[in-house]
Amino acid sequence: MVATSHDVMPDIELYQPTDEANALALANTLGSAGWLLAGGQDTYGWLKDRNKTPSAMIELTQIDAWKGVKEIADGIEIGAVTTLTEIANNPLVQSRYGLLAKAASVVASPQIRNVGTLGGNLVQDARCWYYRRGLDCYRAGGNICYADSPEGLNREHALFGASRCVAVSPSDTAPALVALDATMVVSSEGGQRLIPAQDFFVGPARDIVNMTVLNEGEILTAVRIPSTWANAEFYFEKVADRNVWDFALVNVAAAIKVSGGSITDARIVCGAVECIPRRLEAVENAIRGQQRSEQLADQVAAIATDGARPLNYNHFKIPLMENLVKRAIRG
Amino acid sequence: MGEIVRYKRDVWGEEVILGVSWDLLWVVAVAVLVLLAAHAIIMAALANKKMEKPSAEGRRVLRHETIDRLFHWVMAASILVLIATGIAPIIGLRIAWLNIHWIAGLLLTFVVVFHIIRSLFWQDFKSMILGPKDFGEPFDSAKKPGKYTFEQKGMHWAVTVVVLAVIFTGVLLFMQIDTPFWDRTNSMPEDQLGLMFLLHGLSTLALIALAATHIYFALRPEKLFYTRSMVSGWISEDEMTANHDTSLWSPKEAD
Repeated sequence: MVATSHDVMPDIELYQPTDEANALALANTLGSAGWLLAGGQDTYGWLKDRNKTPSAMIELTQIDAWKGVKEIADGIEIGAVTTLTEIANNPLVQSRYGLLAKAASVVASPQIRNVGTLGGNLVQDARCWYYRRGLDCYRAGGNICYADSPEGLNREHALFGASRCVAVSPSDTAPALVALDATMVVSSEGGQRLIPAQDFFVGPARDIVNMTVLNEGEILTAVRIPSTWANAEFYFEKVADRNVWDFALVNVAAAIKVSGGSITDARIVCGAVECIPRRLEAVENAIRGQQRSEQLADQVAAIATDGARPLNYNHFKIPLMENLVKRAIRG
Repeated sequence: MGEIVRYKRDVWGEEVILGVSWDLLWVVAVAVLVLLAAHAIIMAALANKKMEKPSAEGRRVLRHETIDRLFHWVMAASILVLIATGIAPIIGLRIAWLNIHWIAGLLLTFVVVFHIIRSLFWQDFKSMILGPKDFGEPFDSAKKPGKYTFEQKGMHWAVTVVVLAVIFTGVLLFMQIDTPFWDRTNSMPEDQLGLMFLLHGLSTLALIALAATHIYFALRPEKLFYTRSMVSGWISEDEMTANHDTSLWSPKEAD
């Protein structure tokens, strides 16, 4: 193998647009050669290990239009390069969408949240260590999944939706946004696409290389959260091997509307169990119209893991997921 | 460009085959298009406008039975679906192609097995045998074939070899993925897996070239009556006597 120098940064052409039009023009011109850089918490790992070597980067953090939280006609809009710390501490988010504030507050570590952005947390690449190590697995263009081989270490990997690749969605904010029925604002020189959060993420059956529907030249510029689920009863819990600086083994985000003790509507989503945030519609249907109680939670939790296909080392995720769903339902 | 085989490093750092280079897909596409376009131009230049086309009217003889026509079209559909779903991820189309691909592959396997059994025991297998005498046919305008022409036999056996290669390698790859029949094991060593992908890719490229050539000839004006016979089953007696030796092929009358 050719030795790779780690002494100096590889040559990268850095573009730092300060307005939206410039950024979109650059993304369009550079195409797949233009690596989008925000907080860098996904990017720098790739660069440090020399497993991805982009020739050009478009830094997005100087575009003010894509920062901050603002009220819109039906809810709020959060700029994609708003940091996770800002989101976790924002009074508007805290008061109406506590689910997202909580999810943002448990991402990684305070230092990472200070620079890491919402957009980066949503579009970050798979965290499977075989893939991140630079091996030529399916996701990297090869024809084998090392994590799913008989000797593969797959404690963190998928219970559902594996199709050659068993990597999971690593984001904490993604399940919260799916639960809140958010809409992704995707911009390009050609215009804007509004994509429901649930449809924004893609599994390996459809696209084994990318984890979102973003095409070349497109940038996730904002996330809109409708008022439909504002001030609902929220529950977010993340279980990881350590409380800071770690990805979820399983996380759960639930938005539940309760009237007179009875559940009128609910959206429950689990992360880190599939390549996309997994919405638990069967559980939602089972609890709708029921009295919110411990017994109800016990009765329906097993529905959450129907169809799970554990790998050699992640059977523990089944009771973990069921218990998190139980806790979300009982509140 | 320029390479046929793609290599990668396996988990131990050893170089192993990854598969065929998909740059060849464009090479095959361009080569086939150029050759077929050249054939079309030459045929147009050589065309004898005064030559009379055999009439489709009159007595009809049976060329293909219903079951064989059905086999042909199921096979054609499954091959086209296999090619389309196999190419989709290579050219960057984001569709859930894998399930459609293996279902079409299973269908192709079943119809090919059916065809092999039927052709060996219930059809005139000898009429498809390509012997040394057949090779003189294209160079002797006085020589007429039996049921199948030299070109048809050649296409049939080329497709046979390529389809069997696609099926053999495809079944081995199929065994590596989840299906309703078994759970994936991911246990094939990387070098063997790469070899299977290489052979599957090479036979796919050959199949694309053959399918394009077959469709081109099926649509050529002078061959259209064969295509019609694959739909309706019959050709006219006039078409038969103009193109075939009735001492070598004497079909029954069509219904």
